[in-house]
Amino acid sequence: MLLGTSSTASSRADRAPRTGLRRTLLCAALAATVALPLAVTGCGNDDSSDPDKPVELTVMWWGGEKRAGLTEEVLDLYTQKHPDVTFKKTWQSYQGYYEKLATLIAGNSAPDIFQIDDNYLTEYATKGVTLDLGEYKDSGKLDVSTFPESLWKYGEVKGKLSALALAENTQCLVYNKTALENAGQPEPKTGQSWEEHIAWAKAAGEATGLPGTMDPSADYKAFWLWLRDQGKDLYKGDELGFTADDVTAWFELWKGARDSGATPTSDVIHEGNSSSVTTQLVVTGKALTSWVWCNQLPELAKNTKDALGAIAYPGDPSGQWARASMYFAGSKSTKHKDTVIDVLNFVVNDPEAGEILGTERGLPSNLDIRKKIADTVTDANMKASIEIENELGKTFGDPPAVPIKGHSNVRSELVKAAEKVQFGQASPAKAAEEYIAAAKAAINK
Amino acid sequence: MAMTTASVSKRHPSPSAGATAKRRRPQRGPRREGLAGYIFLSPWLLGLMGITAAPMLISLYLSFTDYGVLTGIGEAEWVGLDNYKRMLTEDPAYWHSVIVTIKFALISVPLKLSAALAVAMLLNRDRIGIGLYRGLFYLPSLLGGSVGLAIVWVNIFNREGAFNAVLDIFGLPTRPWINEPGTALWTLIVLAIWQFGSPMVIFLAGLKQIPGELYEAASVDGAGKMRKFFHVTIPMLSPVIFFNLVMEIIKAFEGFTGAFVVSGGTGGPVDSTLMYTLYLYIKAFTDFEMGYASAMAWIFLVTLGIITVLLFNSGKFWVHYSDEGDG
Repeated sequence: MLLGTSSTASSRADRAPRTGLRRTLLCAALAATVALPLAVTGCGNDDSSDPDKPVELTVMWWGGEKRAGLTEEVLDLYTQKHPDVTFKKTWQSYQGYYEKLATLIAGNSAPDIFQIDDNYLTEYATKGVTLDLGEYKDSGKLDVSTFPESLWKYGEVKGKLSALALAENTQCLVYNKTALENAGQPEPKTGQSWEEHIAWAKAAGEATGLPGTMDPSADYKAFWLWLRDQGKDLYKGDELGFTADDVTAWFELWKGARDSGATPTSDVIHEGNSSSVTTQLVVTGKALTSWVWCNQLPELAKNTKDALGAIAYPGDPSGQWARASMYFAGSKSTKHKDTVIDVLNFVVNDPEAGEILGTERGLPSNLDIRKKIADTVTDANMKASIEIENELGKTFGDPPAVPIKGHSNVRSELVKAAEKVQFGQASPAKAAEEYIAAAKAAINK
Repeated sequence: MAMTTASVSKRHPSPSAGATAKRRRPQRGPRREGLAGYIFLSPWLLGLMGITAAPMLISLYLSFTDYGVLTGIGEAEWVGLDNYKRMLTEDPAYWHSVIVTIKFALISVPLKLSAALAVAMLLNRDRIGIGLYRGLFYLPSLLGGSVGLAIVWVNIFNREGAFNAVLDIFGLPTRPWINEPGTALWTLIVLAIWQFGSPMVIFLAGLKQIPGELYEAASVDGAGKMRKFFHVTIPMLSPVIFFNLVMEIIKAFEGFTGAFVVSGGTGGPVDSTLMYTLYLYIKAFTDFEMGYASAMAWIFLVTLGIITVLLFNSGKFWVHYSDEGDG
């Protein structure tokens, strides 16, 4: 009885809203086909015509509280100097950040300025989401003349400057100095080969009673540097730069390390793979080393009582390059292009802003600011991370191109494949073969 | 008012004006009531159309396109059945997620319902303070699919977690339950079983409905506890069991929060917690394959629909409604 009434009611009821539904669909189609190109094309030098008109820009980034504080301070400083420009600031942790950003963009409410890294830059740039910064660089409105050339160029996707490097960073192998000293073990050295590193880890592990080195076989950045050490690369043009044989060799290398007891057990490795900066194994005392980014050293040090050291990843250190740790990108659909550019320029080139931001995101892109900060920094760990990066910077090789579209999937598939080997669910060769198939599917989708 | 009348008579042209005048009066009441009904319904109707129906239809459309979130819907290209084809024939992770989800549902639902029924029977007696116990047993379900609970779960079943500490006391072997592909899904199953409160409450209500005479009659006929349970309780409770079964199966298939939190959004270790909805989410928001994810969602919806219909049909054979006459 009840069912009967409700069904007739609804069948009668949806006659009226059906036009509403059609309109919703139409609106969606309109929004997609009309509004987007409009937003994309219909906003040239709008705000230059009326410079006194108040402007509010939305800025979005990921990071911890410290980064939020510093970034907010810098943006407030800009407002202080340009009272007509205010900011709506949103920030959150890395997990979920890209999901939210993508959803905002899909809903035509992209933030005017957003933080991005090389994992997704190509994806966003090739889909025409990011503002082309090239012309502003050429006109000098966006000044990158004090940047290392390879650094700002690491923001180029297919020849278009798509994002502005906020800071420079490179890979660092961070190790537990205290534990090594206590056991009378030598510290690892930059320039050791991968095999030498594993042998060191085995010996150090036995002496300290801690697993010698985190197994980085699931870590794309370690795999990438290992490939570069073999004269290959992660990507070659729009294709993978490696074969199943390379992956097999990489997995075999670490299988050997695990079998010899140089690494933690599989479940601890999984923990290391899935943890954030503050719970890396070198911090939680579950391994002597962790494979991280150099700018993370101060954050790591904060979470452990032990003294930490940092070196380059194994292999020829010239495989490492000046990587932009993070970028700021402008949204192509912003209504205030000129203001966006001016803010970007301010964030990286204003000495005061540079001083506030320090090395939280990595070494400042602007070399003048970088020098000034290096001279004045007092925090010991920050000083150490600057020194290491400067040291490594001397041997930097040619940077690879920014990772291609589908890269985030290539990364997550590597974790899957490596863990299959670690948990003994697949042989290195089989996992490698599956990985190649999955990675190819990811970049060709 | 005049306008309403005019439009009414326009829509229903009557053979004679006199007849209309006569009929109009009794008609006006229900019609106005209907209108009022729709007005009161409108928040829900608008919600249904705007928030459920329209997005669903758009997602149906998107499932035939390569829509990728970052580009506009208008730029998405029609790819026909490609997404469906790729999903069903070329994506091993898809089938893996199907298997994980079915395994999760097949194991967790019967265990959860058994636990719910067992506790409901324990609580179905008049003792002092029974209300408190009922409340306490219901408590985990109030926390529901909360993220906080899943985080607690991670800490309980970690290598250093409380569960291992307990095992250790008894000298039992400890394991990193959450971090091993062999056991990670089981921690989620346990989490699901533990939240048996809502089916328990429904069972409790059902148990209270069973007339005491039936048990008395059974006792007179010499039935023991087991016999009473299988021949009185279960048949009398079957409509409630059926209801709980349907609800819990749907819930199990939709399980997302636990898997997402426990695996950090990856479905790991080695895809062992890659539930269907989690894989759908990853496809949509990390891989930017919204078209593909939409296709997944539709297959999911249709499959759930089919399972529910099958369950309803199976009900004929085992669900017993006492008002059907044959006692």
